[in-house]
Amino acid sequence: MDLSLETRTEDGRTIVEVGGEIDVYTAPRLRDKITELVGDGSYDLVIDMEKVEFLDSTGLGVLVGGLKKVRAHDGSMRLICNQERLLKIFRITGLAKVFAIHGSQAEALAER
Amino acid sequence: MQLSGPATPPSTVTVSISRDPALVRTVRLVAAALARRTGRDEEFVEEVRLAVGEACTLLLAPSPGGAESEPLTVAMQFDDGFAVDVTCEGPAPLAGLPDTETDGLERWALLRGLIDDFRVQHDGAMTRVSMSWPDA
Repeated sequence: MDLSLETRTEDGRTIVEVGGEIDVYTAPRLRDKITELVGDGSYDLVIDMEKVEFLDSTGLGVLVGGLKKVRAHDGSMRLICNQERLLKIFRITGLAKVFAIHGSQAEALAER
Repeated sequence: MQLSGPATPPSTVTVSISRDPALVRTVRLVAAALARRTGRDEEFVEEVRLAVGEACTLLLAPSPGGAESEPLTVAMQFDDGFAVDVTCEGPAPLAGLPDTETDGLERWALLRGLIDDFRVQHDGAMTRVSMSWPDA
């Protein structure tokens, strides 16, 4: 399955709902979307990965790059992920400690 | 009377792709289908799918002196266990090289963390990533 990206704003934050596979082929599209949002002044991002079916190191690299971009503007990036197979990838690479990972949009949006 | 025949050799499937990132997904699908034939659980299938895709991704990355036009070959061998060799012509980008897109993330960290039996060999002008999962 290809990558799908849907963006909306809620409570002052930009939610990017990602679906499909984030891999070496599709990750550049996610990177471009994050770059575009930050360029437009959206510095508080919530990346909803509930519908993500696959994630590789290229995708992780894009997320790390995005985190650095928003932090450069004193912004934030929260991830929504409750799939064990994806959480395992964050743990293996030590990124579970780098990202704020939430179980749902409501939980992520409740954080300030 | 012969009680048992000679051991059945492991089945093998070899896939060769041009260095097009869009084709990595196809290799992942083949790897997952073969991993499923071992009869092991979906967690194992997912691990093989991720590891094989990851090895392809790492060897696809451009590197100084890399042979961009040469294909990537993925040789998979399986019976109860599973073994994969991913081979490309030319040097592969190894750990520690600067990469702006993965800044802060060591490129090989995922593959290293994922499987215990993992080797990278440089054999002349060739780089090979070998991974194996023992019998269940």
